[in-house]
Amino acid sequence: MPVVTLYFDRIGKLLGRKVSKEKIMSTLPFLGLDIEEEGQDHINVEYSPNRPDFSTDYGIATGLQGLLEIKLGMPTLKIKKGNHAIKADPSVGKIRPYIVAIEALDGKMDDETIRQIITMQEDLHNGIGRRRKKVSIGIHDLDRIKFPLVYKAVERTHRFVPLNSQDAMTASEILEKTETGMTYRHLLESNKKIPVIVDLAGNTISFPPIINSKLTEVTSKSKNLLIEVTASDRNTAEDALAIVAYALQNAGFKLSSVRILGPRNSAPQLQPKKMLLDPALVNGILGLDLTLPAMIRSLKKNQLDAKIKGKQILCLIPRYRADIFGPIDLVEEVALGYGIENLDYTIPEAKSAGQKSKTTIALEAVRDTMVGLGYLEVMNFGLVGKQVQYDMTKQDSSDMISVADSKSQEHQILRDMILPGLVDTLSRNIHEPYPQKIFETGIVFHRGSPVNEEVHLACASAHNDASYTEIKSVLQSLLKSGFDISCTTKNSQNPLFIEGRTADILVDGKKIGMIGELSPQVLDNFKMRVPAAGFEIKLTDLIF
Amino acid sequence: MSQVLHPIEQKILRSLLEKQTATPEELAEKTQLSIDQIRRGIEWLKFKNLVQVTESEKSFVKLGTRGREALEKGLPERQLVGYLRSIPVSSCEMSQAKDYLKNEFSPAIANAKKNKWIEIYENRILLKGYHDVTPEERIIKTIASKSPDAMAADEIDDKEAFDLLKKRPDFLDFASTKRMTVNITGKGTIEAQNVGEVADDSVQRAIDVEAPAPVVFAAKSHPLADVISEVREIFVSLGFTELVGNSSQSSFWNFDALFIPQDHPAREMQDTFYIKDMSANSVATPKQVRKVSLEHKNGWHYDWRLDAARKMVLRTHTTCVTIRELADKKYDEARLFSIGRVYRNEKVSYKHLVEFNQVEGVVVGKHVTLRDLMGLQMEFYRKMGIKKAKFWPTFFPYTEPSLQSMIYNERLGKWVELFGMGIFRPEVTKPLGIKDPVLAWGGGIERIAMLRYSLDDVRELYNNRFSWLRSVPKCQ
Repeated sequence: MPVVTLYFDRIGKLLGRKVSKEKIMSTLPFLGLDIEEEGQDHINVEYSPNRPDFSTDYGIATGLQGLLEIKLGMPTLKIKKGNHAIKADPSVGKIRPYIVAIEALDGKMDDETIRQIITMQEDLHNGIGRRRKKVSIGIHDLDRIKFPLVYKAVERTHRFVPLNSQDAMTASEILEKTETGMTYRHLLESNKKIPVIVDLAGNTISFPPIINSKLTEVTSKSKNLLIEVTASDRNTAEDALAIVAYALQNAGFKLSSVRILGPRNSAPQLQPKKMLLDPALVNGILGLDLTLPAMIRSLKKNQLDAKIKGKQILCLIPRYRADIFGPIDLVEEVALGYGIENLDYTIPEAKSAGQKSKTTIALEAVRDTMVGLGYLEVMNFGLVGKQVQYDMTKQDSSDMISVADSKSQEHQILRDMILPGLVDTLSRNIHEPYPQKIFETGIVFHRGSPVNEEVHLACASAHNDASYTEIKSVLQSLLKSGFDISCTTKNSQNPLFIEGRTADILVDGKKIGMIGELSPQVLDNFKMRVPAAGFEIKLTDLIF
Repeated sequence: MSQVLHPIEQKILRSLLEKQTATPEELAEKTQLSIDQIRRGIEWLKFKNLVQVTESEKSFVKLGTRGREALEKGLPERQLVGYLRSIPVSSCEMSQAKDYLKNEFSPAIANAKKNKWIEIYENRILLKGYHDVTPEERIIKTIASKSPDAMAADEIDDKEAFDLLKKRPDFLDFASTKRMTVNITGKGTIEAQNVGEVADDSVQRAIDVEAPAPVVFAAKSHPLADVISEVREIFVSLGFTELVGNSSQSSFWNFDALFIPQDHPAREMQDTFYIKDMSANSVATPKQVRKVSLEHKNGWHYDWRLDAARKMVLRTHTTCVTIRELADKKYDEARLFSIGRVYRNEKVSYKHLVEFNQVEGVVVGKHVTLRDLMGLQMEFYRKMGIKKAKFWPTFFPYTEPSLQSMIYNERLGKWVELFGMGIFRPEVTKPLGIKDPVLAWGGGIERIAMLRYSLDDVRELYNNRFSWLRSVPKCQ
């Protein structure tokens, strides 16, 4: 989850009232923020990706102002009508069709403000921007730009000086040589052309969703900013723009609108959303008996506006709250305003008795019987490594089921058998006292429609006198005393076992597993110094 | 009353009564017990103060390589004398002697001079005096006479000459052996006199009930399996019925049905295990697919694709099992739970596993509330023996409101996150035809097991170290 750094002195100023460090710390969790790390003058908090407005200390301070009842109700965006325009050319239609923008004027960019804004931009890119696929944001020094701007598609030979570079590069070079280019070039790979924003002087100011130009770079000297958002979805573009606009307004900038021209494009709508809330839903879900005014007060503590409209509540939701989909989200807002810590628990009575699954009951019987036979239970993973599962145990891997892009060698394939894991377990315990008798029950995977999952039991015994006969006695006893099942064993072959000392296990003529003494080569592969014998059976369809 | 002695102890004491001191070998011969039994018996008797054991070391000597050479050809100084005698005027140049004696030249000159057998004059060696057998030569002969056995070093009388010989490299080889002698103590003598005839082995006799017994290891179920069973029992006791579902699931049930958009970061391969090249043929009824996809288009504004929903994944939570059951059965009222393995494509560390167990419970009912959900959670914790718990708001894509519970870890002295919970979003329930609210809660069981067994590294639960499995107490 993304992390924001909060400096206590900045938060203090933003809150506009003196609030103790302890009070701030104890309130943050009730905004859904987890305190990750505590420093002398700062803390790092994690926020949920559904609240991108918490990606700056401005947004978090706004949230605190509500819960601490410093400022209730919805903060409004004050947007002056501006004169500038951006024209979206039809050529971007198939690449990245939407653009929205706003200007932020007469502000101050100190280092910490720049840091907060850049972090916010990155978090928006990764979160609601879906790693820039859906939305990307460019922030520019407005005073370097000559309006109007054109958002259009150009050839990949288009040249300009990108951020973090001294020299002009073609779009192709940027995609192939720069770090951001390489990270995001897949977003443009389905088109020959690439989108750019060019100003009246012919200067390229941005190459979305890859990189801005060097020309319009924001520095601590920048006073006026242009924020443009390009997107594959207009609604999300407006969400992102609203979040940035609120943060910059809180940072002391004055907002001014930018006209957007062109097909499918128009000036962004950043007005609050209206939503009706049925008080019966609130009380029903929360199990409370709140009055309308009490609900309204709770909503206002979360910076929403609310008023009674007939028997319902009409809510005004600021545009930065992109996480509010419908009335149920407002129920949570009421709960947070009311205070989770103020909710008393109720324990509803069960209407009927609970029950374990048949599989569980049968497996418990298997496990109890195995323990009764003197076998220690072990637990391995179902997602395993190829080496143990197939190579060291000399098993056929042609029907192996793998997962894509595993971060670990030991977890790449779905096991089709438990025994290899048991042999591995034995090999990792060769320094422990013998005899070692172990078993495991669990799921194994086979190709089917599309995957068949079966529950298996495997057991192994390792000591100086471990033998086929010993393990067969265990198998017989388990099936007979546990489930009154008789089995037979029929001569067979498997490279895991010694030839002539291995068999298929049959019940009613059907193969349910295999049994044998481990072959010396397998023992050697696992560096085991004592003989071992084992069996594995399929329990699915046998006992449940 | 005298103490109970093992027949071995009795036999040893009786033989010692006749002869106060003996070696283990002598005792073995006399009692007809094996040397191992004697050694064990001596240990027990020593512990009880009935015998005293003295261990002494004895040194033995044999001729070394040069010692054997000297036996054949004489000591270097004797060889020098022999040489001088064999040449005219019994005198030669130093260099001549050197050519003859080679490596033995220096010790030959030194010792011959010391024995006053030669004199050196202007670089010539002159033979003189008497050349009697030296004490060192005598010792070599004596040791050789015992060959091939070694000779006890303390049997050599002429210590002075013996020391000289020891100083000559490779003339002598030493070996030492430890010897144990057992003496009966006063207390032992009294005990021995009380010992009657040694009992016949076929008669049930008293044994040393206070002696330590060998360790055996009880077979038992896995500690984590015990916690899983305990969690299951609690759910059942709270009126929940268990569901079982597959670990491999279509993306549809793992994500889409839970209103997790197809471009959500959690669905990316770096977080979720996709089964290579595998898609489900059919994921749900056409109506379910239609309604779910519509909900995604309206809520998330993107092109929902069926082929993305068909991709097979290893389930990232057990919620896919519950939601499918709810969609299929449309209960008016129910309490259901499922426990099983879930998978996350993470780096394995002391706090993360790629595969772990999760439990999840749901309550369906017309009038169920968030307070009920919190109450059930507290009841669960109370039954698990967790005393302090509290709730914080949080976010899950498929529940609203959502809470996370924090429980107090007494050992670490801090609050730690445990189960998450919430009420299924209408965007989840409505398209699947679920009309009543659904309370849902759950989380990883390994975390509870770590609390229970005071573990700081979650990997221990799957390391299968026998030393841990065998030693961790069944009841905690």
